[in-house]
Amino acid sequence: MLKDITLGQYFPGDTIVHRLDPRTKLILVCVYIVALFCAKSYVSYAVVAAFLVLSMWLSTIRLSVIVKGLKPLLIIIVLTGLLNLFYTEGTPIWSFWIFTITREGIRNAFFMISRIIMLIFGTFLLTYTTSPIALTDAMELLLNPLKKIKVPVHELSMMMCIALRFIPTLISETDKIISAQKARGADFESGNLMRRAKALIPILVPLFISAFRRADELAVAMESRCYHGGKGRTRMKQLHMHSRDYVALAVGIVLLAGVIVLRSFGL
Amino acid sequence: MKQAIQANRITFQYEPQEGKVAVPVLEDLSLSIEEGSFVAVLGHNGCGKSTLAKHFNAILLPQGGSICVYGMDTADEEKLIDIRRTVGMVFQNPDNQIVANVVEEDVAFAPENLGILPPEIRQRVDDALKQVGMYEFREHAPHLLSGGQKQRIAIAGVIAMRPKCIVLDEPTAMLDPQGRQEVLSTVKRLCRESGITVVLITHHMMEAAQADRILVMVKGTVIADGTPRQVFSQPELLQSVGLSVPQTTQLLYALNQAGCKLPLEALSVEECADALYHYFSNSSSGGSNLGTTT
Repeated sequence: MLKDITLGQYFPGDTIVHRLDPRTKLILVCVYIVALFCAKSYVSYAVVAAFLVLSMWLSTIRLSVIVKGLKPLLIIIVLTGLLNLFYTEGTPIWSFWIFTITREGIRNAFFMISRIIMLIFGTFLLTYTTSPIALTDAMELLLNPLKKIKVPVHELSMMMCIALRFIPTLISETDKIISAQKARGADFESGNLMRRAKALIPILVPLFISAFRRADELAVAMESRCYHGGKGRTRMKQLHMHSRDYVALAVGIVLLAGVIVLRSFGL
Repeated sequence: MKQAIQANRITFQYEPQEGKVAVPVLEDLSLSIEEGSFVAVLGHNGCGKSTLAKHFNAILLPQGGSICVYGMDTADEEKLIDIRRTVGMVFQNPDNQIVANVVEEDVAFAPENLGILPPEIRQRVDDALKQVGMYEFREHAPHLLSGGQKQRIAIAGVIAMRPKCIVLDEPTAMLDPQGRQEVLSTVKRLCRESGITVVLITHHMMEAAQADRILVMVKGTVIADGTPRQVFSQPELLQSVGLSVPQTTQLLYALNQAGCKLPLEALSVEECADALYHYFSNSSSGGSNLGTTT
C-alpha cells in the first residue's frame, strides 16, 4: 500500500540533460525560477516556456510522466486560479450575484496557473534527470563557501544521503508494522478523522523505536568504517564541468537577462 | 606466527540502568588470535561475544586490562583510524550498515573516509566487489537485493579498506540458509586466498565447525579453546553450558555411551558415515549393513 510512494523519482537516461553536471542543473533551475517570477507579460512567459519546452524535449522524458506528477497539486492550482479570477479589481466583463470576473482577473489567473505549472515542471525535470546522490553532491559543493560561516554543509548532505537511503527501508518496515497490527485486530480504515489519527499511534511508536535502533547501529557501523566527519574526505566520483555545462549556463543567463530586459520595456 | 589480536585480562561492564546492579560482561578475559587464521567465537546470547567483538576495533575500550591489535593498543586515541582500517567489522543487520543508495557508492564509503585518491578508490571498489562476487550489481540499489547479497556488500565495504583482519558479528543471523552459505563461503575464501584474519562470532555450531579454531564463551570468559575437532569432542562440557554439538558428534557420542568405541572428531556427514562404516565392518559382519546405509 505504501509501495507506490516515490520520492525524488529518477529516470536513468543518457541524454544531454542527464549528462549535464548536477551543479549546472541546480543553478539552471534556480535561474529558471527567478526568471519565471520576473516574467510579467505574455512575451516573457513565452520565452520562459520556450526554454522549458526545449529542456523537456532534450531530456526525452515523456510529457505524460511529468503531468502525472501534477495530480496531487491539482487542488492548489485550481484554487489559485479561482481566487485570482474572482478577486482581482478592474474592468468587469461578467458579473453574477457577488462574483465578478474582470479582464485583469482572467489575465492574472492565467499567469498564476501557468507560473505554478511551469515551476513544477521545471523542478520535476531536475529530479527526473538527476540521481539523488548526484543532487546531494552538487548541493554540498555549491554550498561549500558557507562552511566559512560555520554552516555544517557536509553533515547536511550526509544526512540527506542517509535519509534517501533509508526511505525504502522504513517504508517496507511501516508496511510490516501495519500488517502486524492488523493481524492483532487494529482498525485503520473506519471511524472519523480523529479516530483514524489515533489509530496511527500504534504504527508510529514501533516505527520510531526501530528507526532509533537503526540509527544507533548505523552510527557504529559508520564509525567502524573510519567515518570521522567531512575533514580529509575524498569522493570516488568527481564532478567535472564540461563545455556543455558552460553552454547551458550561458543559455540560462541569456534567459534571465532577456526576461529582465523585456520587463524594463514594460513587456 | 605473529599475533593479530591479543587481549590481556580484559574486563568490561555496561553502565547499569537505574536501580540495577551492574553485571560484568567480560571478566578477566585473555586470548590471542594468530595472523591469517579463521577463528570462530561461539556462545549463547548475552555471553558477551558481541561486546568482545566491539573491543577488537576500539568501538568499546576495556575497563581493565588491554587489547593489542597488530601492535597497536586500542586505548591509544591517536591510532584510532589506523586500528579501524586494520580491523574491519561486519554487523548482524545488513540494512543498518549500508550508507548509500547505490552499491558502489556504499563500498566507496570507507576509502572516501580515509582520504584516498579517486582513481585508487575506484580500483579498490571494483576489486572488493569482485572478491565478494557482487561486481555485476555495482549500480543497483541495495534495498532491492537479497539479505545474503546485502551482507556481501557490507563485507565488500569493509575489505575496500584493505584490512588485515575482519571481525564478523553474527553476520548470518538474519539470513536464510542460502544467504548464510553465500556469506560463509565468501568469508572462507577471503581468509584462504587473501590471507585476511577472520574472527567469526556466531551461535551456529555448523558455522563454527568450518573455522580453524573455536573459542567457546560463557558469561564473559572463554571456557574452551581449540580446533573444531577438539572442542566438539567434549560434548559434556558444551552441553553443561547449554550449547549443543553438531548432530554428527551427537550421534557418535550417543553410540559411545551405549558401548561402541567411535572417534568423536568426525564432523562432516561424510566423515561420520566413514567412521561408522569402518567401525561396524571391523567389529561384526552383522553391523556392516548399518554402516553402509548411514
